[in-house]
Amino acid sequence: MSKRLLDLGRVVARGRAGRLLSRFGPAGGGRPAGGHLLGRDAAAVTAPPDLLLLHALRCGGHATLPRIAASTGLDEPDVESGLIDLGAAGLVMRAAGPFAGWGLTERGKAVDADRIAAQLDAAGARGAVTAACGRFLDLNPELLDLCTAWQLRTVDGVRTINDHRDPDYDARVLDRFTDLDRRAEVVCAELAAALPRFARYRLHLSDALRRAHRGETEYLADGTASYHAVWAELHEDLLATLGIPR
Amino acid sequence: MRWVRTIGAQTDDPPETLGGKAHGLVAAHRLGLPVPDAFVVTTEACREFRRTGRLPEGLLAEVTSAVGVLESATGRTFGGSTAPLAVSVRSGAATSMPGMMSTILNLGLTTTATAALARETGDTPFARGARLGFLTSAASAFTGATAAPTAEAPGGAPLADAIRAAETFLAQRLGGPVPDDAAGQLVWALRTVFSSWDAPRARTYRDLHDIPHDLGTAVIVQVTVFGNRDERSGTGVAFSRDPNTGEPVPFGDVAFERQGDDVVSGRSATRPLGELADREPAVWAGLVDALDRVERRLRDACYVEFTYESGRLWILQVRPGRFVGRAALRVAVDLADEGLLGRREALRRVTPRDLEHARTPRIAASDDDIVLGRGVGACPGVVSGRVATSSDSATRLASGGPVVLVRPETSPLDMRGLAAAGGVVTARGGPASHAAVVARAMGKPAVVGAGGLTVDATDGSVTAAGRTVADGTVITIDGTGGEIVLGRPRTVTGDVDRHRDRLLSWADDASGDHSERSGTQRLRDAHTALHTTEEQ
Repeated sequence: MSKRLLDLGRVVARGRAGRLLSRFGPAGGGRPAGGHLLGRDAAAVTAPPDLLLLHALRCGGHATLPRIAASTGLDEPDVESGLIDLGAAGLVMRAAGPFAGWGLTERGKAVDADRIAAQLDAAGARGAVTAACGRFLDLNPELLDLCTAWQLRTVDGVRTINDHRDPDYDARVLDRFTDLDRRAEVVCAELAAALPRFARYRLHLSDALRRAHRGETEYLADGTASYHAVWAELHEDLLATLGIPR
Repeated sequence: MRWVRTIGAQTDDPPETLGGKAHGLVAAHRLGLPVPDAFVVTTEACREFRRTGRLPEGLLAEVTSAVGVLESATGRTFGGSTAPLAVSVRSGAATSMPGMMSTILNLGLTTTATAALARETGDTPFARGARLGFLTSAASAFTGATAAPTAEAPGGAPLADAIRAAETFLAQRLGGPVPDDAAGQLVWALRTVFSSWDAPRARTYRDLHDIPHDLGTAVIVQVTVFGNRDERSGTGVAFSRDPNTGEPVPFGDVAFERQGDDVVSGRSATRPLGELADREPAVWAGLVDALDRVERRLRDACYVEFTYESGRLWILQVRPGRFVGRAALRVAVDLADEGLLGRREALRRVTPRDLEHARTPRIAASDDDIVLGRGVGACPGVVSGRVATSSDSATRLASGGPVVLVRPETSPLDMRGLAAAGGVVTARGGPASHAAVVARAMGKPAVVGAGGLTVDATDGSVTAAGRTVADGTVITIDGTGGEIVLGRPRTVTGDVDRHRDRLLSWADDASGDHSERSGTQRLRDAHTALHTTEEQ
């Protein structure tokens, strides 16, 4: 995780462990004390922590503690205690077994939908998020093309698994990713301006692309921290936030 | 004419000018196939548009006169208040860029023309459906390759509501109402298609596929045939041979009482092509004849897009089949046996990659097997496992053996199920969908866009091909050919294949080397030997 994200986690966690234990009601509320990040009030950046957790599970699906921590920027112990509280309220559940992790209950999904919609309207951001969502959807097919081009390529007219033995081809795909990312950055900025909790996607996307440029190319389309995974989560978040069914 | 060519048997410009699609239609004319009347605006006009930012001088006069030719050929009037003429407007570059650029259907169906079409046919829902087809295709053209929200008319919603929603969406994106005069629509469509050449997604495609940016696209304007006209109408795609196996039987999909891009885009549930034979024997006979003629002309397996309206067949696109792997191998051998190719040319047609591909395990379903459906293979390989329609079900069933996750489509919420499953099937989405990307990242066989499947996760069942299978039922999927088969059908790999053996024996004859080597090496040696002989 980038240092920036760790810092975000600390900022959020500071001075609120106690409060995390006591709040998961539908009303949410409560502004945490905290420093500034990206020139914004950290509280505004993040939304109340219980809603942050709830919504991370809504958009990212079942996940383990480290992944939820990475995705929300909260510390693992805070994540765990927050989830335990949400669990006591019947909003989340921990699944055991080989695919263990935390996930939403049906009730959790409903509560999240209410609170996320309320947050959107309280911020007066519905129009701006709808507009940005349109621009995101314009970019979406291209991003999916790029992930596919990273995985498959056409050689002698045959579409085949990219064995990554042609550095020129891979560099071209990465170059197109970078170009798309520049356009996505504008959309992410619009979203963050409309509703600060969207800021985390920009950080995660930049982080994935930076790693890919450093040679950790699995950060393009593989794994839960990849550009593709973060992008898909943002897609899900936009649909969930605006209440658009799939 | 400088910028426009009528498409006919006499048209003699190269594909660089006409675009590949129009060039294929010229070939179809020469074969005497039924092609709806059409003209093409050349790639040169597109290059001029890109240079100046304006439609070239004189183009509109030429287009008007070409539309006049379509009008007199059909006895209809473009945008007219009686017998209105509708056209499709399609991009077609010299090199195919599948799915990258715009197509606008049923253009010319203004409010007046739609009413006229309703009066003429006595079928208001048909006319309104056609108008909606224009609006939704225009909406996706305008927003780049993304399907506009209105492109999927809500099932069962009154057509008038869907039309209004599409008009509103378009007006928002256009910053004004949709042009309601036919000529205005056509000008707007030409600009839109020309501009779509420079859409970021199309540029990315060209960068990745080494296609120069300055070629431009041609635009085909063609008389619309309505596959949704009545119960004796439909549309489909057909290969002259099975693209999975190379077997010499027509293969494809047909959608009855549907129009245009519904099949190509996978939006509609389709039926196996063979059902056309029973339903419309004359159309079927015409289609089989067309496939045969095109194949003989190309001396290769071919692909055809067709529509039939009130029992009459029309050919809309013709191109080589572009088979790969085992199918490419078999077609080369069969065509040599049929005398269409020499053995040397057959050898040249097959690449070492085809041989490697042919090694991927494939389902070899017999007549006794029950094929539940077919989608697009998105990650090669065969897997058998129990159906799971939710992540919960997948993780639960996975403790008892392999599982195949079957979903309408996937999102991050399905990651747990994808992790637990040995393979994945989705009813919607293409080879670049979330499910496809994730499955490839995980190296799991995947079939996407199996439109005939209805997934009911609440109930824990999948309905396909008239039967319902519950979670826990064993199915087998093939991530190359996209088949979904009940139970555990036989599978094969290309190493045991008599066509492969014959081709490789020809390869040894060509290279003069009969020693023990890998198949790939034997083919490479043959290619080297053929290359050397040619140079001498």
